[in-house]
Amino acid sequence: MMVAADPMHQFHISRLIPFEIGGWDLSFTNSSLWMVIGVLFVIGFFAFATSKMDTIPSRLQSLAEIWYGFIDGMVRDVNHDDGKPFVPLVFTLFSFVFVANLFGMFSLPLPGAHTFTPTSHVAVTGALALFTIGVVIVVGLWKNGFKFFKIFVPSGVPGYILWFVMLIEIFSFLSRPISLGMRLFANMLGGHVALKVFAGFIPSLAAGLGGLGMLMGGLLVMPMVVGITALEFLVAFLQAYVFAILTCVYLNDALHPGH
Amino acid sequence: MATETDAHESGGSFPPFDQIDTFPSQIFWLAITFGLLYFVMAYVFLPKVRKSLEDRDTTITGSIEEAAALSKQADEAVTAFESDIAKARAAARDTASKAKAEADARIAEQTARVEAELAAKLEKAEAEIAEVRAKAMAGVGEVASDAAAAIVEKLTGAPADQAAVKSAVSNAMGGR
Repeated sequence: MMVAADPMHQFHISRLIPFEIGGWDLSFTNSSLWMVIGVLFVIGFFAFATSKMDTIPSRLQSLAEIWYGFIDGMVRDVNHDDGKPFVPLVFTLFSFVFVANLFGMFSLPLPGAHTFTPTSHVAVTGALALFTIGVVIVVGLWKNGFKFFKIFVPSGVPGYILWFVMLIEIFSFLSRPISLGMRLFANMLGGHVALKVFAGFIPSLAAGLGGLGMLMGGLLVMPMVVGITALEFLVAFLQAYVFAILTCVYLNDALHPGH
Repeated sequence: MATETDAHESGGSFPPFDQIDTFPSQIFWLAITFGLLYFVMAYVFLPKVRKSLEDRDTTITGSIEEAAALSKQADEAVTAFESDIAKARAAARDTASKAKAEADARIAEQTARVEAELAAKLEKAEAEIAEVRAKAMAGVGEVASDAAAAIVEKLTGAPADQAAVKSAVSNAMGGR
């Protein structure tokens, strides 16, 4: 009972298949399992939806096209034609984060089994953010060479405060991976905790106050839990969207430095 | 596995930060799954979707162009048809007016001929009438002198002088 009510328990990583390679613990965990499930879901969906491509699309093909068109449109809006090579990257970032966020929202009808949100851990979101910023830096240096560092030197700033503006720019650039990773991690963690706490409030009320508690829990708390659940679904999508569009914005800096 | 899990379930733990020992595993599996998703999407499915979208675009543009060409053809056909009609109408008008002119000419000619014939007949008839009248007039003098001679004979009882009667009649008729 206490374990089930502990709002942090859902973020616990348990090793399903423990193994080590070269002294590193690379066990297959529940987090790994849900990353694999999410990725296989996206691949399976696209394999199924694009199995029979037609000029007049089927419903699934339409959905796949909307999914692709959503990312393609986003990249086109932010990066224009230069962004075309990065569509698969932004698509993968969005889809990965989206399914990882989303699948943690469901509960399983099996006793003892529960879903897991890989994006509720800083290791995953931080690695994704560092990877994204790494791509931005590599692309920036590769496309523009040393001109890439112009992003730290805004044009039209008087010389006597330029050093200060540059400091701010460098600081803002360095904080990007942190904010990118932290935002996603904190949103998923916080949302899930809030959901669990409010949901756990209902049995607590029932246990403490009996029938009255059940009534209060059912009438007052339950609608709120339903509302928060809906909100969490929105957040799951929104955070994936935010991650993707920020990637586009940062890539735009790499493609066109000197704003 | 069980011992480690128990240590964290004792409450007050914060798995995202406490389970630092799982970071390599998380990042390792993130790299594998993310990489898998990227390569499968980038090289298999996204090109497929992109191609389908582009194909649809070309199909739609092609159909629109085809429709425009057909519509232009139809417009041209209508124009050609209208000019044909106008030509035909002009030809019909020409034929009609020519026919009318011919008919008019023939009517005028026949009218003239008939009028000439009639005029000739009229002249002839008038000449005949005049001749008959002249003859009749000549006869009248004789009849008148005969009648005058007979009247004189009846009144006087003696035969009248033929020559005097004749000159008197001729005087009375005004030398006619």
